[in-house]
Amino acid sequence: MTGLIVLVTFIGLIIVSFATIIQKKLADSIILFMGMGLGSVVLFFIFKAPDVALTEAVISAGISSLIFLMALKHLGEQK
Amino acid sequence: MNVKKISLKRELPTTTLSGFALSGLLVLTILNILLQNMSTKIQTAGDALLKLNASEGVANAVTTVVVFFRGFDTLGEIAVLFIASLGIGLMLHSNTKCNIKVESNFMLQTASRILFPVILLFGVYVMIYGHLSPGGGFQGGVIIASAVLLLLISNKEFEVPHSVIVALETFAGVSYVLIGLIGLFVLDTFLGNFLPHDISQMGLLLSGGIIPIIYIIVGIKVGSEMSMIVQNLIKRDHDV
Repeated sequence: MTGLIVLVTFIGLIIVSFATIIQKKLADSIILFMGMGLGSVVLFFIFKAPDVALTEAVISAGISSLIFLMALKHLGEQK
Repeated sequence: MNVKKISLKRELPTTTLSGFALSGLLVLTILNILLQNMSTKIQTAGDALLKLNASEGVANAVTTVVVFFRGFDTLGEIAVLFIASLGIGLMLHSNTKCNIKVESNFMLQTASRILFPVILLFGVYVMIYGHLSPGGGFQGGVIIASAVLLLLISNKEFEVPHSVIVALETFAGVSYVLIGLIGLFVLDTFLGNFLPHDISQMGLLLSGGIIPIIYIIVGIKVGSEMSMIVQNLIKRDHDV
């Protein structure tokens, strides 16, 4: 069961990361990047690294994406 | 008939292909490691550190590694975060109020009043129990910063008090180095564990000597730095 979850998450992560690269709009890329962080949290937790999972959840899926969005907002105004 | 010469580079999407090749290599490497782990156990540096962990009396071995065995690295990481915060502050600082034009709605305002204390409490819990359960200073600090972010989004008038942040950050940075220096004088190693850290106390809140104290200090510093970064990014003048 755990192996199945790992496999599904792993394939999903690869698909989401490719989708992150090929997006036309940067905002969509950032949202998908958040999803990538979420998948990594599941993987880290299954591989018995709850500390790293907590860090990833807080930083990647939380603060970092919001900082990206704020930066995008500032950069978008200058264009 | 003139045949148009097409260069090989234009015909083949080299960038995409190399991307595929690189990610395929990565997948193969990880699968290889997983397959190897199934049959035999690999001896790593982690095993050696886990054996040493028992001498410090801390339940969470990751915390011992991050704060004690790699304590000097953590000091450097905090310095890096401080420099990043300083750079963002220098580039984006302004005295104007929030530049989000849309008024935050009633739902967000009410929810933030309820959620802010809960998130803050959770952040402090993660920070203080870093040596017993997963989590610690970095995570707790960032959770506190996200609580501040919620307050900044919902309330236009709110501003992080600058003098408080300066005081907290100075206190945290100075006391980290001071604890390290006391360890240097008492035990001849920087960040030596000079407080009592008996193994029989493992699992209690007051255990592990200086390790929980240092993680709380790290949490205070990371929380104040991330709060300043978030505030500087949100409250920025348009025409700078």
